[in-house]
Amino acid sequence: MSERGVQRLLGSVPVDEQAARRAWEIVRAAYAEREPRRSRRRRSSVALVLAAVAAAAAAAVLSPPGRAVVNAVRRSIGIEHAQPALFRLPAPGRLLVAGGSGAWIVADDGSKRRLGDYPQASWSPHALYVVAAAANELATVEPTGRVHWTLARPQIRFPRWGGTRSDTRIAYFTAGRLHIVAGDGTGDVAAQGLAAAAPVPPAWEPTTGDRHVLAYVTARGRVTVLDADSGNVQWVSAAYAGPRALAWSPDGRQLVLAGKTRVIVFDARTGRATAIRAGGVRALAFAPDGQLALLRSHEVLLRAGGLLHTLFVPPGGRLSGLVWSPDSRWLLTELPAADEWVFLQMRGGRRILAVSHIAAQFGAFPSLSGWAS
Amino acid sequence: MRPERPELDRREHVWVRDAQRGSAAALEHLFRSHWPRAYRAALLVVGDAAAAEDIAQESFLAAIRALDRFDRRRPFGPWLHRIVVNRAIDWGRARSLRRELAPEDAPEPAALERDPGGHARELAAALAELGPEHRAVIVLRYLLDYTPGEIAELLELPRGTVNSRLRRGLDRLEAVLRRETA
Repeated sequence: MSERGVQRLLGSVPVDEQAARRAWEIVRAAYAEREPRRSRRRRSSVALVLAAVAAAAAAAVLSPPGRAVVNAVRRSIGIEHAQPALFRLPAPGRLLVAGGSGAWIVADDGSKRRLGDYPQASWSPHALYVVAAAANELATVEPTGRVHWTLARPQIRFPRWGGTRSDTRIAYFTAGRLHIVAGDGTGDVAAQGLAAAAPVPPAWEPTTGDRHVLAYVTARGRVTVLDADSGNVQWVSAAYAGPRALAWSPDGRQLVLAGKTRVIVFDARTGRATAIRAGGVRALAFAPDGQLALLRSHEVLLRAGGLLHTLFVPPGGRLSGLVWSPDSRWLLTELPAADEWVFLQMRGGRRILAVSHIAAQFGAFPSLSGWAS
Repeated sequence: MRPERPELDRREHVWVRDAQRGSAAALEHLFRSHWPRAYRAALLVVGDAAAAEDIAQESFLAAIRALDRFDRRRPFGPWLHRIVVNRAIDWGRARSLRRELAPEDAPEPAALERDPGGHARELAAALAELGPEHRAVIVLRYLLDYTPGEIAELLELPRGTVNSRLRRGLDRLEAVLRRETA
């Protein structure tokens, strides 16, 4: 083959314009965050500080799609590099956690406020309140800890709050049955009188305007989308084995189910399903900007370009919990065995921050419930 | 075809200078000017569209991180290409260690497979039979138009190694393309 022929052939390979657009957005964002070269003195001092912080915080390369960095992460992150305490959150917002020592709100300056003896909690749609649950009590609480109302019900699990600022609903399970109650604590009903639901947290559609649309998984593993105002079921999926997590995309167009061996992506309007082979996914988290992260016991994955890419593999131990920062720049997961939180920077830089001694700071190792602005 | 043509060099010099001073517009010029070749080079070395996007994107991010230290008297292209090709070689070497999970129902087509004429598909098959180091040398020579001496410098290889890889690479390509065509 002539050299000219090879040149012509190589030059004819098409360039993916969408990839270029995606890459430019990321490059532009990184450039915007770059410290411009103004003062040589200032730059060098900033560089020194950044270098010190990076070393202390186990800085590592982390691409937004993520795949190119798995090995770098594997090499660089480790318990010995973790900060000894949560001095501050890496992004603005308030982090809600709950567990054996109750529910807590962590402010971005690292200060913590305990809300009460609630092992489960989640934010209201605009993070003005928290819905919390003890074994036999559902409560709505202000971030200051002031209780608004309570409801006594047996074996409460998975309280989830949805709706608009003026009209909200709370879904929760009691003794395995799905209930819905208005945001002011009135009108508690057993939704549809349906059979027991699967142990998967229900999820409110985020952009329904005046309507309240809830997705949940039945005991038979069928995803059901319910108009909670009319009581009409919009669609019901086929049955999926081993459902573990359910999440809406921020634009409300997709609903994603983590099953035993697959992740199912539903068209939220029609219920049409597309499957991705990925067994063992235990948590799903959509970023406000639409990125989808998935958690397996020993890795964090990111959906990009229709594929799942391994984003983070811990040096050891099982991962649990997955939440995005409100600005979509950081992803937080937990390593309970190492008593660590791991913050993964997803945009505007490429750091990993590990924070240790989490149990000592909260009284027990908590679960991640949400990170709100 | 070379990116180091005097006119492009002059414009690039200005873009790099302005980007160092904080001009996003200048950076965009640099990006638009170099993305297609960076992406194509990565794609031809790794043969995977998603990985090529990662690699090209990461290379630009690395370039931005080092932009302040960049010597404007030197051309930007070779600097970027060195990053792209070395990352692509690393990716190719480590590929077997990585896991990817493809959708069952709608596999993402690689860019190489979208060529309607089918030549790119044959090219992908031919390149796939070469190792990443050989592919990189072919790409640097015949896509990015570097001389064997420049390739030796970029990849920190002896000149003779570059020449032998080029020769062997071309022979393999020819053999595979003949077989595919037949």
